[in-house]
Amino acid sequence: MSYELLIFAPLALSLLVYIPTRNLGGTKYVALALFVYMFSKTIELYKQLPEHGYMLLGKFLEVKAFDFVLTLQVDRLSVIMLLLTCVLLILVTLSSWSLTKKPAAYFSLLIFFSGAIFGVFMSTNFIWFFIFWELTLIPMLFLVGIWGAEGRIYAAIKFFLYTHVASMLILLAFFLIYKQSGTFDMTLVKEAMLTTPALIWWLMFIGFAVKMPLFPFHTWLPDAHVQAPSPVSALLAGVLLKMGAYAMMRMVILLLPIQAEKFAWIFVVLGLLTLLYAGFMALYETHVKKMVAYSSISHMGLIAIAMGAMSYASLSAALFEMIGHALIISPLFLIAGFLHQKMNTWEMTDMGGVMQKAPYLSAIFVLAGLGALGLPGTMGFIGEITILISTIESFGSWMVVILLGSLISASYLIWTFRRVIYGEMSEGVKNANFSMNRVEFFSLLVFAFLIILFGIYPQTLFDEINQAFGVYFTGGTL
Amino acid sequence: MSAFTILFAFGLLSFAMRSSLLLKLLSLLVLVAAGYLTLNSYALPLNGFSLTSGVALFEVVLFIVLGAAILNEDENINVTQTIFIGTASVALLESNTLLNFIISFEALSVISFVLVANVKNATQASGAVKMFIAGSIATAFIVLGAAFYLFENHPLNSGLQNVETFGTLGLWLMLMGLFYKLTIVPMHSWAADSYAEIKASHAALLSGAAKTVAALAVFKTFSPFLLQNLEFNAPILVALAIVTMTLGNFLALFQKKVAKILAYSSIAHAGYMLLAFVAVKSAYASTSLLYIAIAYVFMQSALFTLIGNLKENASELSLEDLKGLGEKDKITALIFTVQLFSLAGVPLLAGFISKAVLVYAVVDADLPIVALVTLLNSALSVAYYAWIVKHVYFDEASLDYELKSLRFAPLMAQFILLGGTIYFGIFAFGVFKVAF
Amino acid sequence: MNVGLLLILPFTGAIATFLAGKLNQKYAFYLAELIGFTLFGLVLSIFLSYDRPINVAIEWFSFGNATLPFGVYIDHLSLVMLLIATGLGALDIHFSHDYMKEDPDKPRYYAKILFFIGGMILLVSAKELLGLFVGWEFMGLASYLLISFWHQTKDPADAGVAAFLYTKFGDVFLFAAIGILYYYAHTLDLQYINLLATWHQIPDNVSFVVAIFIFIAAIGKSGQFPLFPWLMRAMEGPTTVSALIHGATMVNSGIYIVARMFDFYVAAEALVVVAAVASLSAFIGATSALAQNEIKKVLAYSTMSHLSLAFIGLGVGSLSAGMTHLTNHAVFKALLFLGAGAVIMAARHNKDLFRLGGAWKKLTLVGLFMGVGALSLSGIPPFSGFYSKDAIIAGAILNPKTYGLISTLTIIAGVLSVAYVFRIWLLIFAGKPRDIELHERIKTPSKFWISLPLGIMALITFVLGFYQKELSEYVTGKELPEAHVEYLLPLLLSAIILVGFIVYKFYKSRPDARDKLAAQPLMKTFHKILFNGYFVEHMITWFVKNVIINSVSKTLNWIDVRVIDGAVNGMLNLSQKIFALFNATHTSKVSNQAGVMILGLLAVLVVIFIGSLV
Repeated sequence: MSYELLIFAPLALSLLVYIPTRNLGGTKYVALALFVYMFSKTIELYKQLPEHGYMLLGKFLEVKAFDFVLTLQVDRLSVIMLLLTCVLLILVTLSSWSLTKKPAAYFSLLIFFSGAIFGVFMSTNFIWFFIFWELTLIPMLFLVGIWGAEGRIYAAIKFFLYTHVASMLILLAFFLIYKQSGTFDMTLVKEAMLTTPALIWWLMFIGFAVKMPLFPFHTWLPDAHVQAPSPVSALLAGVLLKMGAYAMMRMVILLLPIQAEKFAWIFVVLGLLTLLYAGFMALYETHVKKMVAYSSISHMGLIAIAMGAMSYASLSAALFEMIGHALIISPLFLIAGFLHQKMNTWEMTDMGGVMQKAPYLSAIFVLAGLGALGLPGTMGFIGEITILISTIESFGSWMVVILLGSLISASYLIWTFRRVIYGEMSEGVKNANFSMNRVEFFSLLVFAFLIILFGIYPQTLFDEINQAFGVYFTGGTL
Repeated sequence: MSAFTILFAFGLLSFAMRSSLLLKLLSLLVLVAAGYLTLNSYALPLNGFSLTSGVALFEVVLFIVLGAAILNEDENINVTQTIFIGTASVALLESNTLLNFIISFEALSVISFVLVANVKNATQASGAVKMFIAGSIATAFIVLGAAFYLFENHPLNSGLQNVETFGTLGLWLMLMGLFYKLTIVPMHSWAADSYAEIKASHAALLSGAAKTVAALAVFKTFSPFLLQNLEFNAPILVALAIVTMTLGNFLALFQKKVAKILAYSSIAHAGYMLLAFVAVKSAYASTSLLYIAIAYVFMQSALFTLIGNLKENASELSLEDLKGLGEKDKITALIFTVQLFSLAGVPLLAGFISKAVLVYAVVDADLPIVALVTLLNSALSVAYYAWIVKHVYFDEASLDYELKSLRFAPLMAQFILLGGTIYFGIFAFGVFKVAF
Repeated sequence: MNVGLLLILPFTGAIATFLAGKLNQKYAFYLAELIGFTLFGLVLSIFLSYDRPINVAIEWFSFGNATLPFGVYIDHLSLVMLLIATGLGALDIHFSHDYMKEDPDKPRYYAKILFFIGGMILLVSAKELLGLFVGWEFMGLASYLLISFWHQTKDPADAGVAAFLYTKFGDVFLFAAIGILYYYAHTLDLQYINLLATWHQIPDNVSFVVAIFIFIAAIGKSGQFPLFPWLMRAMEGPTTVSALIHGATMVNSGIYIVARMFDFYVAAEALVVVAAVASLSAFIGATSALAQNEIKKVLAYSTMSHLSLAFIGLGVGSLSAGMTHLTNHAVFKALLFLGAGAVIMAARHNKDLFRLGGAWKKLTLVGLFMGVGALSLSGIPPFSGFYSKDAIIAGAILNPKTYGLISTLTIIAGVLSVAYVFRIWLLIFAGKPRDIELHERIKTPSKFWISLPLGIMALITFVLGFYQKELSEYVTGKELPEAHVEYLLPLLLSAIILVGFIVYKFYKSRPDARDKLAAQPLMKTFHKILFNGYFVEHMITWFVKNVIINSVSKTLNWIDVRVIDGAVNGMLNLSQKIFALFNATHTSKVSNQAGVMILGLLAVLVVIFIGSLV
């Protein structure tokens, strides 16, 4: 099939789903069906991938004079990201099953988002990449601004503007690349062609660092994540942040390896700062969702350090942790949001003893939390140990300081368990009704299952991940 | 036989027509015919006029926009003026001598005055007067500039020739006068008021069609002059462009009336257009200006006509009034949002790619800092567009929600303009194929 | 085959037990009992059919060009630990039948116990540090879940948090050690690491640091100074849990890891650090145990103290002394804990020593068996405790590095154990009941479920006393150090008898003397210090709360809100100012507009003019 349909069909479909004036409750089924279909197509695509390198899917809308052509090319890395995105889209749709406010518009925005994100991962033309990159912001703006919590308008606009400004830096970098190399094609640009690679590198680094996010560009995230409705938070953390990390990998490290090596220290510095700073922030928080948001930021810091080590092992570790982070942080967000929905409070001081009223929900919360602190048996541990080993290999033994982040995570997570899940039931918990929609609970179970599955058999993921990066390192071209 | 002729003839004829429906139908037909003629390279059949493929493309786009404007009009006289604007535009675009340029430009100005003179209340009158006075001063500059140019023994009835001191002075005088129409600082103050005060459909024509036509024509005519002395001219233009953009964007930020926001946004966009002049040494400059003009004419016309339809007295429309539009009138809100996003530079819409090509042209002209400033300005503008969208979608409708929904013809007009915005957002090869 | 089953059964069994228990609570117990004894049977069969170490290399996963292993290695050392873990585990489950009878959450309990046993099995069967770490963490998790088993109330929930975080602090160091070792040794295989260290293939300072890091983790897990407060808090959990986890198995993991890496420690010359820290802990534990008024807290401090003794055994260079004491201690401590559990259960879950007394009549068997355990703990021959304790003290004195403060502290701790264990025995069983009403309600516990396991353990601790040589040879292939210190034996025995006599006087025959002494202000201060475990917990809590949370976190939070985000929000203010600035230039008066146009034009012309001159 023509793969550009995977991008444009959802974009068009979203309009079709939105326009009918009756608020169709059936839009969720349409969304789910679409995402499952896209997932199956992606798997098909995956099977067709060659051993190494890119697979061209097609060139569309060609404008030779500006090298403005929608080139769809995928390699293992992009398809892994696509697969992760599909899984998250499906699970997020399931988690939104009991939505009552304007469901048609909500799901149409999700559908729009899916088209845009597919575009991001499939385009190898800088301009089209940028187009889809920006386009993903639009549904997010609306999803946060309309279905969000009390401070949603501030959060949505802040998020939109902050990331948009960062995108402008990226666009400038892309233009400089075109001017100096004559092409907008990611796969054809080589570092040697560029006359000002350092400038380009820094512009892209800052632009993508805002998205990841890295300290000190992180302040948009707590607001956005907290105010967004929980499934959207899961999508933001699981997909959008990964977009930033993916772009960082693709364009900053793999495209410009010499500059990246020269400036690798910034990854370590900012990564460490992010890891520890966000950890301390989470420690101080009593707002349950904000705590999860800071935990999320903290883990992205860990990923950044791994990316900075720029070795075969460390990039593989980083990608694994990216997937792990998405699967671990999503249930935390979903449950935190659910608790707020049922108890009308965000504060941990108002909660307590949830385990006694909602044991299975609490168990999943605890499991995800244990994943976040890196307990063996969960994906989180695999991520941590691989990152530790690979970064020590690149930077030396002093990298064990990243385990300080692990200790801080353990502290705030266990303390959160104590305040929210364990202990005596608070008034709010006693009066609340924690029955969850079966479909929504099912999606939580899937998350829990995957966290454990990949924690015990990480090789299933690493087989693919290793192949994704192998081509860059075994060929000796880096 | 050319587009100009049939438009002119029909314009004169339309004075005699009574029936509104017939008038509109015929106008649309005439516009279609004009487009057909243009596409087949029928230029104005007088000396000093010629047609290039780029100009032809823009003229067709212009005819489409004018057609949409006519669908939206209510009074016959406005339809007539619209046709005349089309006529003058064609002349202006196709002129390749300085004399033809000046005459066509003035014609366009005068027709604009007549258009806005159709006032219904004091606010509109105030806007019209401001425009008229500013226009007169500008004309004075232009003529004085022409005089200086002549003084240096350059003929008016040919293209621009290389100039010495007096000629430079003269041409700069002319440019400043022309910048009135383009609402570049310091010639912009009238626009901030006028665009907001006059009838919205008139503002659409002025800020959309007239401005873009003028921009293209000025670029076409004056680019040899700019190129001649680039190291000297560029910094001045850069300064003017940046001030215009920044002023326009900042002043749009905290306005309460939607029309005012659109007016300042228009000024800011004029600043972007001026950048094409700055980047004139780049091969992409002319294409980028053409692209921006095409994108802009669709977006701006759509927005002004839309707000004209939402409220009787569009200059009164405030952000508060927009609350809840997303709920009450999905289609109008969607169109509104898409066009706003296009202005903001959201991709897959004409506004983005045109701005992108423009910024690239600036980068290509070795001005990366200017490009950065432009991009940051663009990001700044997103703030107020997003703020409007916030009122439309994120707020609940207030109890005294009183926006009107669109009738059939205006809705069709909006769809046409929307189609243009989206088409040129995705399919860019058309613009790149032509030579300007 | 057996090995595979040994590793998988606990975990799958845990899930099965939980599910079965959901059907019917009784099934949870029977299934758990079955699995518990099956596991012991498996270990026994491996033990009996053993001829050389079971060595299975398995690759877990590879990332990039690195590979991480997860193999199995079972040798004598592992087998001893396995026998203890599964044997005591099975008895513990058996005991739980009555102890947890009235608890509504039995499925959860049995599942977690099985999960814990699985973690322990994993720990001691691991070929590499990675597998060891996984087992280590699993046990930590099980411990956390079981301590806060009654999480509906405040104290157990808080205790669980403390347990997890104290041990996590240590675990982080173990994790770091793994990272560093992988880098320098390119392997995590325990046997191989020991060899590399002995051949000095790993830089000496690196091995020292790694050894210390691992020891810090051991400190955490085994409740040594300064990470011991969690062990005392852990007593909030069910006593069966305290017996199994905090008396006999998990807390041994610290000793196990040092023992496993003994050659590494020798090469790194880190053993003296082990001995030093352990001696301090032994002293703290023994002295604090004297002042406690809850049965379990005494036993907890006692555990700390005896684990320290085992560490000292290792620290002075005698692997055999350390390991034999570990084994001996596991048995008699579990016995004492379960005995205490029987007492608590019988006394309607009352833990306060001072409300008991004179329970001998009603709890005869329990008293008897606990007495055996107490004798063993005190180090009175022919019970097992004597031999290992003696060897350790001898070793401390003999080793020139530890002769002095360390050996003194060791001796004091060793001798004081008599004091505290007899104190509790006397307070519970001897004399007259202090709370008559409570005494009336004491029920004699079931012989089969309660007294039988106690009896078995008492028998073992007695019999083990005769097999000490075989035990030490089995574990290490070496003999226990002879007490070349001639005067030691008689001196020790005299000290023990003397202390025993004093305690008897204080608690049985002349309690009034004791009370008078206790009323002295100096004694009151002493008592307070000892009762609060030298205030170590208070200090740590103070530090975490006031420095980490209220200072560091709070400041960073302030910075984030005011400075970093403040900059972002400040953009808004800045924009407003710029807006105002630009707005001032805009005017609505037409004449002014015209003026601006003309002025602007003039400005541009001036610029052009100047420019053309330049």
